[in-house]
Amino acid sequence: MSTISDELKQEEAEKVENIDYKMVTFSLSGKDYGIDIMKVKEISKAKRFTFVPNADPYVRGVYNLRGDIISIIDLRIMFNLPAPKQEENTFEDMIILRLDDYLIGVIVDSIDKVVGINSETIQPPHPIFGDINIKFIKGVVENEGRLYLILDVEKILGDSSREEEVSGRPQLVKEPDMQPEAEQDEAEKAGEADYAFVVENLLTFRGFHVTEFNRTWVRSRFEEWRQQRLKEGAEIQLQEEEDADRFLQPFYSPYSGGFWGGDYCSSVKEVVKQLEVQGNIMVWDPGCGAGYETYSLAVTLRQSFPNSQLKIWAHDNDLLNISTAPNLLFKSTDVPEDFIDYTVEGKNGLQFNKEIRDAIFFEFHNVLHSNPFPEVDLVVARDVLSFQKENEQAALTQEFADKLKPGGVLILGKNEELFSDAFDDISSGMVRAYKKR
Amino acid sequence: MRVEYINPFVEAAFNVLREVLNEEVKRGELFLKSTSQPVLGVAVIVGLTGDVEGRVLFDMKKEVALAIASQMNGEELATMDDLAKATISELANMITGQAVTKLHDLGFKFDLTPPAIITGENMEVSNTGVEALIVPVELQAGKIEINVAVRERA
Repeated sequence: MSTISDELKQEEAEKVENIDYKMVTFSLSGKDYGIDIMKVKEISKAKRFTFVPNADPYVRGVYNLRGDIISIIDLRIMFNLPAPKQEENTFEDMIILRLDDYLIGVIVDSIDKVVGINSETIQPPHPIFGDINIKFIKGVVENEGRLYLILDVEKILGDSSREEEVSGRPQLVKEPDMQPEAEQDEAEKAGEADYAFVVENLLTFRGFHVTEFNRTWVRSRFEEWRQQRLKEGAEIQLQEEEDADRFLQPFYSPYSGGFWGGDYCSSVKEVVKQLEVQGNIMVWDPGCGAGYETYSLAVTLRQSFPNSQLKIWAHDNDLLNISTAPNLLFKSTDVPEDFIDYTVEGKNGLQFNKEIRDAIFFEFHNVLHSNPFPEVDLVVARDVLSFQKENEQAALTQEFADKLKPGGVLILGKNEELFSDAFDDISSGMVRAYKKR
Repeated sequence: MRVEYINPFVEAAFNVLREVLNEEVKRGELFLKSTSQPVLGVAVIVGLTGDVEGRVLFDMKKEVALAIASQMNGEELATMDDLAKATISELANMITGQAVTKLHDLGFKFDLTPPAIITGENMEVSNTGVEALIVPVELQAGKIEINVAVRERA
């Protein structure tokens, strides 16, 4: 073990030594920020900018930099940070940025120094950092005990704000025939960036991994989300966990976290008709949560195969959730009517009868570890894969394929797709299902 | 590991330790592990058979083992001698025994094997084919990790 931690330390040390990213650091209302040095042409002090009428408030004016006229943006005003009123004649710290093919000056509180870091140590932004909208932040990096927010200057000064600023900077007007196409590109790029951030934030807030299993859904949901948010005048980005939940709400399969309704049960019955059952039905239900799904499944299968021996392995690695599952209590109104035949009245409420409960093994188990049970006829993994890392998704899909008998059926979440040669799509009604070849 | 098995082990460990050591016992967060992990220095293994197959492993540092053995015997023990080893083995036996009794009341049939104690430096334990539930227990003398790895008999 000691060798592993030594290796880790060494790796850590190498990361620090291997400097491949330099940034100019500065402060805005007491917080530290950085900008990629490749974007910075120079830094200087300047005063007395020429006021431009009818420009946005954060445009301080234009400035003559050794014969080049450049426009000057005040980052503090742009980001709604307090900007102390300056005396008419005091010099202010200014960073001259080189963007595409033009120059632009930004005013900051004070320029600090150039800091060299390893780009691998840059971490994705977290929304609680800083007062600046998260989409303008490329990442966060720690250096000598200080946290720097690395600003994405292209996003800040390059997108929609550019069009507004053009009026203030006649020298920046591009070739006229280029403009419409470029504008479209910009809009597309902005949309792509929004999409990328949504993907990122789904991961941060809810551990939702966008991969081939769900990309189709996420894409179309993003379009719908964008239209809706634009209409509401709200931010497209997911700012907090509630936003992520709202975004993901239509993702979850029907009756997620509760007992299945009769309509869903009928769809499942349609699908399991494909099974060639001889005597025993073995089922694996990874990610069973508090057990609602497992019990619904057990009752549905019992109805479909009244003469078979039923055995379900139900797994979850959330101990709190699954610990109530073996003795789940509920009210008669919570379940479809035909479930009532499979329940008994207990001291504290309604429970499933012994036959159903004995058919299910609820186990506190991480399905990414080895799964020591025999081959199964049916795997029910609704909305499970999307919450695993990409390589784990692949491993788990392989595990499903290995664990299923030939002709066995795999049920996934309604918005999850499986692209595999080993399976045929047999989805029916509300159920997304695949049959092993 | 079946959800029904977890509580009996946790409860038995707490009852027995609280009783024999006469102190408040704190529980750490339970977690699952499938890879090999280091053994702290003294390990007692109790095998389980019956409805399941597997074993319970009590893992602690030598100093913790000595402190517990001293407390249980009412005298200061300085080395891991036969008395200290027998005491720690007995502790493991008591905890597992009580857990198995609780499980029996719930309708699960478990049998246990006599405990075996292993001491030494730089050891590892691997669970091939079965994941282990780790129950960390905080005592005044230090930490005991109870490592339960069982699977259903097919």
